[in-house]
Amino acid sequence: MPSTVKDKAAKSVVKRKRSENGEPIKKRRKSEAGEEKEDLASQIQNLESQINESKKHYNNIAALIEYAEKQNEDPKTAIAAAEALCRVFVRLLASGSLVKRKDASEKDATVAKWLRDRLTDHHKALVAMFKSTKLATQALVLAMALLKAEAQYLEGKDEAVFHWPLFNAIISALLTSPVEEVRDEFCDKFIDEYDDIRFYTFEGIKDFLTERESVDEELQNTVFDFLLKMEDVPESSEDLEDFYIEQPSKKKHPLRSLSQHKKRAQEAWLALMHLGLSKEQRKKVLDVMASSIAPWFIKPELLMDFLTDCYNTGGSISLLALSGVFYLIQERNLDYPSFYQKLYSLLDTDILHSKYRSRFFRLLDTFLGSSHLPAVLVASFIKRLARLALNAPPSAIVVIVPWFYNLFKKHPLTTFMMHRVPRTKEEKELIEKEGVLDPFLPDEEDPMETHAIDSSLWEIVQLQSHYHPNVATIAKIISEQFTKQSYNLEDFLDHSYGSLIDAEMSKEVKKAPVIEFMIPKHIFTKADPGTEQTDSPLVSLWDFGSS
Amino acid sequence: MAGSQLKRLKASLKDQGIIGPQKSKKQKRQNAQDAKASTDKRLQRHEALASIREQFNPFQFKTNARGPKFEVTTNKPQNDKLAKGIQGRPGLAKATAEQRRRETLLVEMQRRNKVGGIVDRRFGEDDPNMTLEDKMMERFAREQMKSHKKNTVFDLEGSDDEQEQVTLTHAGKTLFLDDIEAGRDDFDEDVEDMESDDERSARKKFLKRLRAEEEAAEGEGEDGQPERKKTKKEVMEEVIAKSKAFKYERQAAKEEDDDLRVELDKELGEVQSLLFQMKPKETKEPKGPAVMSGIDLETLEKEYNMRLKQAAREARAEVTDRTKTDEEKAEEGVKRLKEMEEKRLRRMRGEIVSDDEEEEEQKKGKKKGDDQEAQDEADEDEFGLGKGIKLRMTATEMGLDDEDDFLLEDDLIASGSELDMDEDDMSDIDGSDDEDAYDPDEDELVNGGEDGESKEVATKLQAQSKGGDEDGIPYTFTCPESHEQLLEILGSLPVTKLPVAVQRIRALYHPKLDAKNKERLGNFAQALIEHIAYLGEKFEPSLFPTIENLIRHVHSLAKTFPIEVSKAYRSRLEEIKEERPLALTVGDLMLLTAIGTTYPTSDHFHQVVTPAMLSITRYLGQKIPQTLADYSIGAYLSILALQYQSFSKRYVPEFINFCLNTLYSLASEKPKEKLGLFPVHEPAAGIRVKGASKVTVRKLNCGDCQQPKSARSASEESALKVAIISTITSVLRTASETWCKLPAFYETFQPAQRVLQHLTTKSNAAQLPAALVKQLKDTTTSISRLLQLAQVSRRPLELHHHKPLAIKTYVPKFEDSFDPNKHYDPDRERAELAKLRAEHKKERKGALRELRKDAAFMQRENLKVKKAKDEAYEKKYTRLVAEIQGSEGQAANEYAREKAARLKKKKNAR
Repeated sequence: MPSTVKDKAAKSVVKRKRSENGEPIKKRRKSEAGEEKEDLASQIQNLESQINESKKHYNNIAALIEYAEKQNEDPKTAIAAAEALCRVFVRLLASGSLVKRKDASEKDATVAKWLRDRLTDHHKALVAMFKSTKLATQALVLAMALLKAEAQYLEGKDEAVFHWPLFNAIISALLTSPVEEVRDEFCDKFIDEYDDIRFYTFEGIKDFLTERESVDEELQNTVFDFLLKMEDVPESSEDLEDFYIEQPSKKKHPLRSLSQHKKRAQEAWLALMHLGLSKEQRKKVLDVMASSIAPWFIKPELLMDFLTDCYNTGGSISLLALSGVFYLIQERNLDYPSFYQKLYSLLDTDILHSKYRSRFFRLLDTFLGSSHLPAVLVASFIKRLARLALNAPPSAIVVIVPWFYNLFKKHPLTTFMMHRVPRTKEEKELIEKEGVLDPFLPDEEDPMETHAIDSSLWEIVQLQSHYHPNVATIAKIISEQFTKQSYNLEDFLDHSYGSLIDAEMSKEVKKAPVIEFMIPKHIFTKADPGTEQTDSPLVSLWDFGSS
Repeated sequence: MAGSQLKRLKASLKDQGIIGPQKSKKQKRQNAQDAKASTDKRLQRHEALASIREQFNPFQFKTNARGPKFEVTTNKPQNDKLAKGIQGRPGLAKATAEQRRRETLLVEMQRRNKVGGIVDRRFGEDDPNMTLEDKMMERFAREQMKSHKKNTVFDLEGSDDEQEQVTLTHAGKTLFLDDIEAGRDDFDEDVEDMESDDERSARKKFLKRLRAEEEAAEGEGEDGQPERKKTKKEVMEEVIAKSKAFKYERQAAKEEDDDLRVELDKELGEVQSLLFQMKPKETKEPKGPAVMSGIDLETLEKEYNMRLKQAAREARAEVTDRTKTDEEKAEEGVKRLKEMEEKRLRRMRGEIVSDDEEEEEQKKGKKKGDDQEAQDEADEDEFGLGKGIKLRMTATEMGLDDEDDFLLEDDLIASGSELDMDEDDMSDIDGSDDEDAYDPDEDELVNGGEDGESKEVATKLQAQSKGGDEDGIPYTFTCPESHEQLLEILGSLPVTKLPVAVQRIRALYHPKLDAKNKERLGNFAQALIEHIAYLGEKFEPSLFPTIENLIRHVHSLAKTFPIEVSKAYRSRLEEIKEERPLALTVGDLMLLTAIGTTYPTSDHFHQVVTPAMLSITRYLGQKIPQTLADYSIGAYLSILALQYQSFSKRYVPEFINFCLNTLYSLASEKPKEKLGLFPVHEPAAGIRVKGASKVTVRKLNCGDCQQPKSARSASEESALKVAIISTITSVLRTASETWCKLPAFYETFQPAQRVLQHLTTKSNAAQLPAALVKQLKDTTTSISRLLQLAQVSRRPLELHHHKPLAIKTYVPKFEDSFDPNKHYDPDRERAELAKLRAEHKKERKGALRELRKDAAFMQRENLKVKKAKDEAYEKKYTRLVAEIQGSEGQAANEYAREKAARLKKKKNAR
């Protein structure tokens, strides 16, 4: 019988666990009241064997449960008792003594009922152990073993019937437990391994969240982390073949359908999101949206509100929500009014300094990739970024300029920003007399109204004399002939000060560097008042004479 | 032309005038008389006959059946052949082929299976044209040739002897006449090299000439004088006599030469004395010629040889450079500076200067190779100093080459700082040291001749045994090669005396003094850089002159050890990057300053400056300042960044960001609206200035860059804040002046203007001291003015006045003389291979054809041989048969006769 094999396996796990913990416990046992403990252990063994011998000793179960409930005082005995109980119950379940039979005698029925009550007591005892650091993992294994036995035998039917009360208890105990390792254990051993457990877990979480009236933030975080761990989305219904309890024979059983799985996951996630997430959590959710959450959703439209809300918040959350919103617009026909206006408003002071810069640029490149966009709009984006580039780190400038180049190639109308010859004589005279006031309106929110296309890109020309040689060279591409078809942005993304210095440092000094040919007379000291030399800014602005 | 072949032949013969009506006797005689005409005619006739023959043999030529393919006009003469398009002469070709085969193949065939044989090397044997006499002559000529080759014109005796031995004789008399041989002398050298044919003809000519002479002589004899005709022998004798006379003459000349030489030998002594201008005394000594030719002569000769060798070895005197006048030197200095400046500008624009540099280096190398002095003189003269005392080792030779540039500068000897103190000390010491030796020169040394004295330092340092000067600075040090060693060796010295020690070390371990010194000094330079940072860490205001001096020492060392020094700087930058990119120490600041002065910061790219600049901007851009120390460090770096860019005026975005953010953070009130696009970091608590209106404005110093050990008092804090604001404002002002020509100056500095205005609003200004507010206002107005200027001078961009790019065209390639039979294979190798294959095929066909023809020829020949054999056999056979038959018939006849006779007898008897 396969079930018993698994059962034994579960037990062996328990034994191993115990043997692992054995050493210190033994020592303690010897040092402290070793005698008494030994007595208890043998007593438990006694009780267990008596139960196995005849029905008369069923009352021993109650005694064992008592032991098991005393986990706080005596964890060692408690776990031993719980183990013994487990074995007893599995045996009883297998023999069918807990099954309610119509034809059973009254006495039998009362015995079965009594046993069932004791089983529930045992559940409680086990679940209570989840809170203790020492016992939690062992208790989990026991509970799961019991869960399996119950599903198979409790109802006395051929088909296994999942036993919800115990599982819900397990889930809620897991989630509320302060012990992180139990959850990891549960994920590694059960969720990742068995598809049905994952299925039930999603549902359990949903129930857990919906039933609770108030969920504090800590719990939310635990649930969030827990959900995040369930990453592997099965590809198709055929992949669902690892079952902890038993493979349901019916083809149409919800356990064997992928969409049902997904539905459960989706419901669990939605239940979590409905609780109202904090800012940090939102960031977290948005960060993993594409990789871990979205794949579970059958109807990503359900995320619409969440995403648009996030997008409207502004700041880095908008940045993160961007990809999700874009996905919905593109694939699910989401109608997001004034998307570009919103996008334009994202180009604020911090965008070029943000750590999500390269991510944003990848998206921005796709958003403005269409050649059917109005040139006015594109010009606004260019001009705005050019303005920002005046205060940007070199690693950002390095991306912006080749991107501009690509846009210029795609929207030839915008090239007037680089090359504008005054046409009429009056215009020329006016410019000669008064110079040019930049027609660009930096505070205008609508990218169609900024007049950027009438402006010029003085900012980029200024960056042609950037202190970093490579940046300066890259900035020069806009004043050279546009012979290249386009630049590959990936070459320019993902730079930083560190990587730029690294690039310089990795070059070995082979040729002797040029040395300043005049040795300066003064570095920190002031020049004599009599001489014609002027002080360097350092000397004149800094006081090297005092501390 | 109709008619039979015969008729046509007749007609054409008549046409050519070969046959015609019979001529009369008179005509014949006339014809015979002008012989010349007759020969002409004969030739003509021959030609005409040949052409007729050709005409009448249609198989003589291979032609196009229908004449030439195209009507062509050429400037070549149109003769019959071309007109008819004759392509070959099969008959002729066959005949020549047959002929050649007969010469080669047939000979081979006949010689087949035969071994040995005699080769006939007799000349003229096959030549029926040669008469017997000719043959003899030829033989003679050859003989002469053989013997002659060894001799030369000047071989007088030898040749005679040989001649006598080898001459051919006949019956005891010489076969040939000597005079011929002698006469040949003049020209046979020419003849010698000619090939046999030419030789033969030449010989013939010679002989002909001889004969002609003889004939002429005969003719003369006949015609004019009654001189009798000379016999051949007489003529020959004459010639021989002549040649002997010549020979004698030559011999006589030779003897004369020998005499002369002997005479000269005798006079050799005198000549030698003339050559070496020795005193004639020796030669005049009454020793006599015997001594001259004896041992003395030998020694003389030896001496002569020795001197000759010496003279050969002696280097030639070279042209020296003209010494330059002072003006020229000054001009040169100015020119050099200008060149350097130009190069700097080129580097700034990012152009490659390498080749120029190489040239430059080559030049330098040349200069140095010559003598370093030239350059050093120039250096010295930049500062208008004299040459110093030349007899002793110069400073340049001792390694102070560029060092003394600043050692001798006035500012170091000027009053004030402690540094000049010890410089003075030095001179004092040196002076006092000099006293013993150069008492009278003392004044000069102390007053005007510092250069001389400083140059002496080195020599003295070496001469000095271990010991210290008055300040207790020892004169000798071991060269520290790591920072630990440096601390160990120089740690005991007072910091202010360090430069002296460094200078002494540099003099002591000058690369020219020892091969290892180069490495040592390189390491020393690296240790010095470490030490600068080390001193920077424990900075004290009094240390800065020392640090400055050390930096300058490093700078001058960097000129000699550019790679080592730059590596040291770079490793330091690397360390900053790895360990504390956003927490720079004062030592780092010192190093960054040192880099800024040691290397040209205006370069487009520089191995050290670029990473240094990145380190600076990394701090400015990424540091979110938390404490006032952070702001102070930022302020220092801002100044430094600006100083780096003061020449090239490159834009530094992080500079603006940091300055504006600092002002924003320090302002006592937060502005209600956004002031610009620079990133804003909300200041930490207690950063904003509060109630500092009574504080005096001071400058920032390095102590502000560190977290104070004990907390600053409130007044100190606000003073520091005010100092930061004031410094940043001044830097902003300088920056606005530096960058006022940038195209986006307006956009760049408008936020600055707004921030400054924000600081001068009433509520903010109330918290600041009046002097600072005034400074802020001044700066605001100055920036506003610059902004206005920038706006007026701004023009729309016109970046793309490029020449329009031509679309690339690909002209189709036309073959001018296209031949469809030819292969125009673009693949060269394949084409060549095809060509080769075709050639091979053609050759193979030709060879096969030849072989077939050879086989046919052989068969034919064999058949011929066989036929001849058969015929001979047949002949023999028939002859034999006939013979037998004849004898048989005779016998039969005899028998019949006998029988008849017998019958007759019988009858008769009966």
